[in-house]
Amino acid sequence: MNPLWQNIFRSRGYENTLAYFLSTVPAFSKLDKRDLAVLEHLVHVRNYTADEVVFSEGDIGSGMYIIRSGQVRIYTQDDLEQTTDKAVLETGDFFGETALTASRPRCASAKATESTVLVGLFRSDVEEAIRRHPLEMAKIMFGLNRVISDRLLQCSLQLDKLMKLYGTEQQ
Amino acid sequence: MTGQSGGLNRAQVAVLYLVLTSAIASGIAIYSSASTITALLKTATTGLFLPILLSLIVAFLLDPAVQYFEKKKLNRTLSIFIVYLIIGLLMALLLVLIGPPNWKAMAQALKADFPRYIGHAIDYLNGVLAGLHQHFPIIKNYDLAGQLRSASQSFVGLILVETPKSALRLGSLMLLVPLFSFFFLRDSRSIMRGLISLSPNRYFEMTLDIYARVSWQLAHFIRGRILEALIVGLVVYAGLSLTDIRYTPILAMIAGATNLVPYIGPIIGMIPGLVIALVDLGVGGQFWWIFCVYLLIAQIVVDNFILIPILISRVSNLHPLWVILAIIMGGKLYGVLGMIIGVPIASILNIIIIEIRRYRRSLNPYNRLFSTRGRIL
Repeated sequence: MNPLWQNIFRSRGYENTLAYFLSTVPAFSKLDKRDLAVLEHLVHVRNYTADEVVFSEGDIGSGMYIIRSGQVRIYTQDDLEQTTDKAVLETGDFFGETALTASRPRCASAKATESTVLVGLFRSDVEEAIRRHPLEMAKIMFGLNRVISDRLLQCSLQLDKLMKLYGTEQQ
Repeated sequence: MTGQSGGLNRAQVAVLYLVLTSAIASGIAIYSSASTITALLKTATTGLFLPILLSLIVAFLLDPAVQYFEKKKLNRTLSIFIVYLIIGLLMALLLVLIGPPNWKAMAQALKADFPRYIGHAIDYLNGVLAGLHQHFPIIKNYDLAGQLRSASQSFVGLILVETPKSALRLGSLMLLVPLFSFFFLRDSRSIMRGLISLSPNRYFEMTLDIYARVSWQLAHFIRGRILEALIVGLVVYAGLSLTDIRYTPILAMIAGATNLVPYIGPIIGMIPGLVIALVDLGVGGQFWWIFCVYLLIAQIVVDNFILIPILISRVSNLHPLWVILAIIMGGKLYGVLGMIIGVPIASILNIIIIEIRRYRRSLNPYNRLFSTRGRIL
């Protein structure tokens, strides 16, 4: 068949829905369909062009972003306007989660390197949803907590390693 | 450019003339069509303001109840229907218990009594005026009594004419308000999400945050005000039903409704009750008890010491000057109704402005190091 005519009359499969995408994110992998439906109505899908700033260091943050497609560069900037890359994130990664629980200034900047679709989860929506769907929200926040705890564990392990290295160097 | 500097040749003048005329003509056309369009819009939207406002208030009031049912894993539409059903049942129960209000008898009694009350009030005022005239002869003997009498007569006439009209309006309100508030309750979230998502990426988080704060404050303000008016009305009702005064339910309703207007409202709400008490009961123990109920119990003790600190946050406090301006402007726009809703609307604008300012302040990165009074934390 001519590729021009493919897929036109086929209905959008479940694989294309936002709920399916969210279920592939590690933090939300253990949610069932009901929880995913709640989450789906909670998040905002935002489109970014290439080189568009998502947020800058020092902004008051109000939530986290999950990358649905595209690529995001996380970097910091010193007083001399020199940028240091911290990470380059791809589809399925999330960033900015420190601002989800309290309004903290962003500790790094984020910029889309290509045209990117982000899924935003924001504090005010979460607070409202906790009142309306406490059970589902508990599961969603538990999933996020699991991933963040994993990161913390990795961090402390690395810190231990570094401390040991530093100790042997000093001796 | 033509040869003669400064002057224009014939063709240019003709073109200029044409351009200017067409410009003026199109200007007039645009102006008239714009004014007809605004006039059309105005006629199309007259009478919609009140039902929409009321249904917004109803939606704000019912939202907690709907959320309660939503928590029990019902979907929102069903929860709204359940809340509506419960309210309908409660109203039916009230009607069955108390019986349908005898509107006709009440209206007739009021029609007969109203001039009597006004007459007594006028006599009293005349006495006061005569006393004033004795003490300050400079004051002209102003015919206040006559003016008041004619005003009251026209007021009674107005009531008689307006009652069928307002009954019709009440009927349409009874139909429109539940309908509108149903949709507000069900879809306000998605409507607001749609509107917020229109904001550009750079300001999206800020818009979302400010919206969340403003809507939280608004919900609390509206619920607080309505609850406050309700409780004050109930307290006045309870206090007045201990005496022999007539029209207790109407007086309690007036006291509750006028309580929505700060500072001035309670005083105006007191007047009908005091006049009726003065005329029917005379100055005595009961009159002073009614006075106490209005001023001391309902206003000072219940409202100022108990309700306002609990229900109304300090954020929504308006400066008295703004309150008076809002009352005057509301009265100019929508009459008595405008006076009642002018202050709440001004408070809503105030809340929006304060929340935006607070957000902007929290944007300041050094703000975290200082308290609101500038002290270093």
